[in-house]
Amino acid sequence: MDSKVIYTPKGPAYETRFRYLLTTRLMLRELITGRGLIWRLFIRDFTAKYRQSALGIAWALIMPLVTIVIFVGMRQSGILNIKATDIPYPLYALIGLTIWSLFSVGLAAGANSLINAGSMIVKINFPKIALVFSATGQGIVELLIRTALVALVFVYYQTTPDWLGTLLALLCLIPLYLMTVGLGFFFSLLGGVLRDIGNMLNMLLMGGLLITPILYPINGSSLLADLNNWNPFNYLINTPRDLVLRGHTDHLVEFGASTVLSLIIFYIGWRFFYLAQTKIAERI
Amino acid sequence: MSETLIKVENISKKFCLSTKHTMLYGTTDIIKGFVGARQDTEQLRKGEFWAINDISFELKRGETLGLIGANGSGKSTLLKLLNGIFMPDKGRIEINGRLGALIEVGAGFHPMLTGRENIYINGSILGFKKKEIDQKLDAIIDFSELHEFIDTPVRHYSSGMHVRLGFAIAAQMKPDVLLIDEVLAVGDVGFRAKCINAINEISKSAAVIFVSHQMQHISRICSDVCVMQKGHSKYIGDKISHGIELYFSKFERQEKIISGSGKATINNISLEDHKGKETKQINYLDSLTINLLINVESEIKRPVIYIGFLTQESRLIAHCCSEYNNVTIHNTGETMNVLVTFPEMNFNPGIYAVSIAIYNEEQTEILTHHFSVKELRISGVFVGVAPIQLNGKWTTGKQQNISISTNKNIIKNGES
Repeated sequence: MDSKVIYTPKGPAYETRFRYLLTTRLMLRELITGRGLIWRLFIRDFTAKYRQSALGIAWALIMPLVTIVIFVGMRQSGILNIKATDIPYPLYALIGLTIWSLFSVGLAAGANSLINAGSMIVKINFPKIALVFSATGQGIVELLIRTALVALVFVYYQTTPDWLGTLLALLCLIPLYLMTVGLGFFFSLLGGVLRDIGNMLNMLLMGGLLITPILYPINGSSLLADLNNWNPFNYLINTPRDLVLRGHTDHLVEFGASTVLSLIIFYIGWRFFYLAQTKIAERI
Repeated sequence: MSETLIKVENISKKFCLSTKHTMLYGTTDIIKGFVGARQDTEQLRKGEFWAINDISFELKRGETLGLIGANGSGKSTLLKLLNGIFMPDKGRIEINGRLGALIEVGAGFHPMLTGRENIYINGSILGFKKKEIDQKLDAIIDFSELHEFIDTPVRHYSSGMHVRLGFAIAAQMKPDVLLIDEVLAVGDVGFRAKCINAINEISKSAAVIFVSHQMQHISRICSDVCVMQKGHSKYIGDKISHGIELYFSKFERQEKIISGSGKATINNISLEDHKGKETKQINYLDSLTINLLINVESEIKRPVIYIGFLTQESRLIAHCCSEYNNVTIHNTGETMNVLVTFPEMNFNPGIYAVSIAIYNEEQTEILTHHFSVKELRISGVFVGVAPIQLNGKWTTGKQQNISISTNKNIIKNGES
């Protein structure tokens, strides 16, 4: 008999002799056996999203372009006082927004993943982490599509990124993605029980975009600048951007601390989700 | 081949009645579960009830358990517990081997994607690798008979086509444990028969739990039956006919309906056994007499009486008509006593309803119609599939002087 499972009030129980780090091992096993499903669900959402829209993937390019044009317009008309940067402002803002989209798009999709699959959850038993992982994958897609736009803007300004820095920047995006998935686990579960979470999340993401130095640098000694010294997203986003534009970063220690924080949030979120998933089906 | 695949020990499950409590308890339970606080799952909190209450059974490979009960008796909840969608609040469930479940067909189908794409998605949701699905793809499409629609988005499918695809996927997955909720009702007759045969085939090498309201399916494919009522199991065992009778006895006979032009009235209807004693229940193949006291207006000289028998599902299965029996009823307008005897009631054991209708001579006007007016119970040692169980005269013997044989044998005889 290849598989034997026991359901108890405490959740599924497995017969094992080796109990050390059991939950973590089971979490990993679920991820490994569910990888095919994660990929399939990801492809499903991707094709379903773009199959019946005339502009298709172009939508992913239109949104950031509109945002950047608004900010460039506001800056030129003097409504917004953004200090001159040594690199073209649209390029600076676009890269920031591109990195931010990995987080914002991924988190929004992840948070809704359980509610969207509600009817499936109450009728089929499958590893539900696949829903969150595949949904946050939309953030990666968004990032890739927008990277193409960034490349075009580089060509337009006839500058080049720091190539080695760009490679390093890709690695430096991993903590941001783990943070996205970790928070996605929390928000999807809470959103499944309390529907207010979805609205709240949109507000939080909008606020986060405005108070974090993404579209404009925040320097000096204002309250916001002081706050941003403690904002992990400041480092998770600006470190990769600095690497792309300048090839080095001044905040290596802070980035390291933010990475550790991301790992902790990722693990706790995953574990929280893993332990709670048996309770979620009857509540959704 | 007879190891125990499903072992259910005293399981109970509670549910909330209101959304407010669901939200409150849901949040606290999740947080308690994460921090590892002890949870008192065995007590009911305000607004909760037991949807499943203390159910135990075991099922071995090769056995099929039929789950019957009224709507809301906990059948689907039990399947969801077995499937691991919910955890029990008390007790323990042990499942051995690969589990396949058809709780609701088409759950997990994405409407924008084609049937073929959905086969892959559903397959991987059920835990199959792409390679395994590749191998089974043709068999799935063949079984579903949806060849020309397989590359059409599923949202254009009818509900019957959904069932076809969903069942085809589950049937080809060769599970050790198969759970089937009442999902076949939407399929057409041909496909339903195909599904029943497929379940029958799977059940030889698997443990199957099958929910249905169609008693003929239950009696045909199940080796055991469980009758559920308000979360309890009222009966669990291999006496299928007893279980089915218990299930039917829980339903009130449906309201009788009296209609017609009113030119005739039925004053009394009684069912009598072979001794002439009024009864509600007779044995299979016993005699039944229907005793009527009727009044028909004198302008109708020769009324025609119909006696109809209905199954529990209100399906008319037999008629007895005075005209077809070459009986002429002469009416004078006075109260008449009409007795009709059926010497050998060959109905499948179960519960039936009797309807009486009186027509004018030309059968153009219904004078009175008493629909489903009396309940008749046929008891017997078996419960068959068909509503009529003929009592044949059988002879068997060696081939030379056979009186019953197959066509093949007859041809063989002719050749030799």
